[in-house]
Amino acid sequence: MLSQLKQTILKKIEKAKDLKSLEDIYRRFLGRKGELTGVLRSLKDLPEKERREKGRLANQIKQEIEEKLKIGRGKFQVPSSKFQEEWIDITAPGLQPTVSHLHPITQIRQKVEEIFQSMGFSVVEGPEIETEYYNFDALNIPKEHPARDLWDTFWLKRDVIATPYLIRGKQSSRKQLTTGLPRGFASRNDGKKLLLRAHTSPVQIRYMETHQPPLRIIAPGRCFRHEATDASHDVQFYQVEGLMVGKDISVANFRGILQEFFKRFFGPEIKMRLRPSYFPFVEPGFEVDILKNQKSKIKNQKEGEWLELMGAGMVHPNVFKAVGYNPRDWQGFAFGMGLDRLAMLKYKIEDIRLFYSGDLRFLKQF
Amino acid sequence: MKVSYNWLQSFLKNKLPAPEKLAEILTMSVFEVGEIKKVGRDRVLDIDVLPNRAHDCLSHWGVAREVAAITGNWSSSIGAVLKKNCSNGAAPIKVEVKNKDLCPRYCARVITDIKVGPSPKWLKERLEVIGQKSINNIVDAANYVMFETGQPLHAFDMDKVGGSPRRGLPPRIIIRRAKKGEKIITLENEKYELNSDILVIADTKEPLAIAGIKGGKKAEIDQGTKDIILEAANFNPQNIRQVSKKLGLRTESSLRFEAGLDANLASEAIDRAADLIQKIAGGEIVPGLIDVYPKKIRPKKIKLEVEKVKRLLGVEIPKKDIIKILESLSFKIQDTKYKILNTIIPTWRLDITLPEDLIEEIGRLFGYEKIPAQLPSAALIPPERNDSLVYENKIREILVSAGLSEVYNYSFISEKDIITRPVLVELENPVSREQKYLRPSLMPNLLKNIKDNLRFFNEVGLFEIGKVFKTEDKRQKTEVSEEKKLAGVFALKIKSEGTREFYQLKGVVDSLLNKLRISDVWYDDANNKQQTTNNKQFYHSARRAEIKVGDDLVGWLGEISPEILERLDIKPRVVGFEIDFEKLVALATEEREYLPPSKYPAVVRDIAVLVEPSARVEEVLNLIETAGGPLVQDVDLFDMYEGENIPDGKKNLAFHIVYQAEDRTLTDKEVNDLHAKIVWTLENEGGWEVRK
Repeated sequence: MLSQLKQTILKKIEKAKDLKSLEDIYRRFLGRKGELTGVLRSLKDLPEKERREKGRLANQIKQEIEEKLKIGRGKFQVPSSKFQEEWIDITAPGLQPTVSHLHPITQIRQKVEEIFQSMGFSVVEGPEIETEYYNFDALNIPKEHPARDLWDTFWLKRDVIATPYLIRGKQSSRKQLTTGLPRGFASRNDGKKLLLRAHTSPVQIRYMETHQPPLRIIAPGRCFRHEATDASHDVQFYQVEGLMVGKDISVANFRGILQEFFKRFFGPEIKMRLRPSYFPFVEPGFEVDILKNQKSKIKNQKEGEWLELMGAGMVHPNVFKAVGYNPRDWQGFAFGMGLDRLAMLKYKIEDIRLFYSGDLRFLKQF
Repeated sequence: MKVSYNWLQSFLKNKLPAPEKLAEILTMSVFEVGEIKKVGRDRVLDIDVLPNRAHDCLSHWGVAREVAAITGNWSSSIGAVLKKNCSNGAAPIKVEVKNKDLCPRYCARVITDIKVGPSPKWLKERLEVIGQKSINNIVDAANYVMFETGQPLHAFDMDKVGGSPRRGLPPRIIIRRAKKGEKIITLENEKYELNSDILVIADTKEPLAIAGIKGGKKAEIDQGTKDIILEAANFNPQNIRQVSKKLGLRTESSLRFEAGLDANLASEAIDRAADLIQKIAGGEIVPGLIDVYPKKIRPKKIKLEVEKVKRLLGVEIPKKDIIKILESLSFKIQDTKYKILNTIIPTWRLDITLPEDLIEEIGRLFGYEKIPAQLPSAALIPPERNDSLVYENKIREILVSAGLSEVYNYSFISEKDIITRPVLVELENPVSREQKYLRPSLMPNLLKNIKDNLRFFNEVGLFEIGKVFKTEDKRQKTEVSEEKKLAGVFALKIKSEGTREFYQLKGVVDSLLNKLRISDVWYDDANNKQQTTNNKQFYHSARRAEIKVGDDLVGWLGEISPEILERLDIKPRVVGFEIDFEKLVALATEEREYLPPSKYPAVVRDIAVLVEPSARVEEVLNLIETAGGPLVQDVDLFDMYEGENIPDGKKNLAFHIVYQAEDRTLTDKEVNDLHAKIVWTLENEGGWEVRK
């Protein structure tokens, strides 16, 4: 009878679907008025020997059932009452860490630097305050030449001179005087006015004055133009200058390097083209346009429209002469491209002035 | 420059490509073409002629020559019409050029008995299409020939040109420098005061025109004009440019002269114009070209190495193609069988002076698009490492991960932004009063960013890396210098009661220096320093610190002074730092010796000290370190507390002290003794209570 009862109970435990039915089973069989409890209680009326035997069996069954119940409860009952107090709503939003951002031009600049560095270009910098010599004369842009109108320039007031600026990096000894300044530095700058550099090209001159070819560099940095501001022009902007000089660096090589750059920057579908242009410090000179395929159309770009991206060309012999290279021995290419413009294309930004607004609502999107 | 499609066609024997196609051809071979507009039955192309070709291509003829070279389609030449009948004769006027350096050539022709009136319809239309107003047939003819050939011309009313009539002498044209104080009234009735830098066309009495720039009222063509003097000259481009800039007078004429013109063009253009005037205004061309041309310009020769073409362009172009291209541009090759081509350059190509210039012509007409892309075969030199750049990027990363966002501000500030008064660098030609000076510090613009952003955010932390500028008087000269700085600012919209902003930003600075592995950093409250007056005014006098590494001052950290914040109308506390970037890089790159961590266990004991509120953490730290000696490996402040459970007028500082030896395991007794010594020192030397 006892074992029959045991089977019934175990079957019921097995079938139980929730915590409540398990509690019901406990109450029905093991509770104060439970069936098994009743059986156990009735044992006291039995003769001693039988009582001891059946008692042991009944207790065994009781333990076994309690054990099963415990396991059963474990199945349904996840939080024990102690953890219940610590319940949280896991669907509520997480706390936002202070997420801060790198400026988009920094990000573009890092990408550009990374690509060119991987092609063996060193990254160098130059001063933002320049002399007329470096910004114009040495770049084959003589005074009173209409070409100067291509650069609207900020000039510094007062009769001031610039603290000598030396380009970073290993300096070759050929042009160093004991003062640590390139040869002729003082005389070149006498009577010349100071200005805010209108392009990064002066870095070409500063670098070549202190280094021997062959060389390959890029020079990113801030430039200034004295012009009315609108969505695509601002009084300051970032440019990256490139220069590669060797025995036989050609237009074809320029195309090779630049194509590689555009592919890595914009993606493999990019197309570039060269068309004639004029910059006094290069000859031949060209403008570089890019065309992206229809899918990756750049904002506001009409289908099939080429976008002007950089000015470039083969270094003018007069520039080599200005830095003391023999133009018969060396040739190479130079280019300059706007980082702001690159960032605007990449991120589809329509107003250049946003870059200098300091507005976190804009900056936090990058 | 605006170019009429029909006008262009008139120079070419075959039909031009359609305007859009023509625009594309020009863009890819010579000049970028912008808008194409339909005007009447004509189309106008906006062609961007760059300064290197302004001397020969600011004209329909010039552009036609380019089209002809590209498409191999050319017919007429312009000049030489008059040579037969009008080349010889006695001049009815006298021309004297006083300054031949400023006027290398002066051509004049006299035409008598003309009839001034409106221009014929075709002429009016041509001028209107390119946006020019028709004035009368004489002026229009001169303008027309300028837009046709590129040579500016001017017509004077001969009766108004004074000579020496009393002696029966003919009218005289004198080209000379203006006298100081001399004046001229231009055709537009504007009065200009002249000086000796300015070249004028004068008669015996006064200036008739500002040479190459603008005609004067005195000898203006009017309805009653009968006889004219036609001028086509060549002037010094630099001088024209200077004068035009100084007078603020830029004209179609000055634009062309300042680009430099082929002196040989003057006679061709004047004959062309005289012929045209005779056709449309009647009259008679007086035989004899007056031509003051002492140094005739002859074609240059350039030696072009065929091999060099390949070397520079990176593509092999057959020699016969090179020759064909050069000849299409009217360059003449003297002998085509050599490896070096002796090339004769027509005088109108002032821009061609070097073999490289010829290679450009070859390249663009061959087509840059036909040049293949080819990576250089030069050995790859590993790029030079730029420490400044490496650290710039590293610093950016650290600051961004510490919760500051990067901004780029303008390099300019306004007079109103001058918080302190360092020696500012001023612009000669600012775009506005708001951008009159170069920033002497990154802080003023960062504070503006804080103000703007607190409207939208509860917490704003920003940083910038950029150049700042200052002047300094040195050896009788004023020197301008630029320095790279790193600056950060932090503020909360709800102003904290106390010091959270300061310590939060200080934590950022600490973590930055720490991650750059710069050690020996300490903060000096710098109360009695003279040289730092500017920064002292800038920061809150009780909440500022000099950031020092060893003896080196690398920057400042502090709460911005309440007066400055009030002036900028910023309510919350703002804390900022500004660090000398180059110093930071120098310190970060210094070599440091590696210290192996001790193999022996460390023992940590805590200590709590009750001090007066004005006591500085550093004083307590110093005493602990001195008393503990080398076995105290590290001391950390982990709690700073005032308030409940702390006696009034006291604050509680709690430290972890780490005891460790390099060479052995410390015994309990050693640690206990040392700790007791520290407690004793704090109590007796510091006069503080150590809580037991």
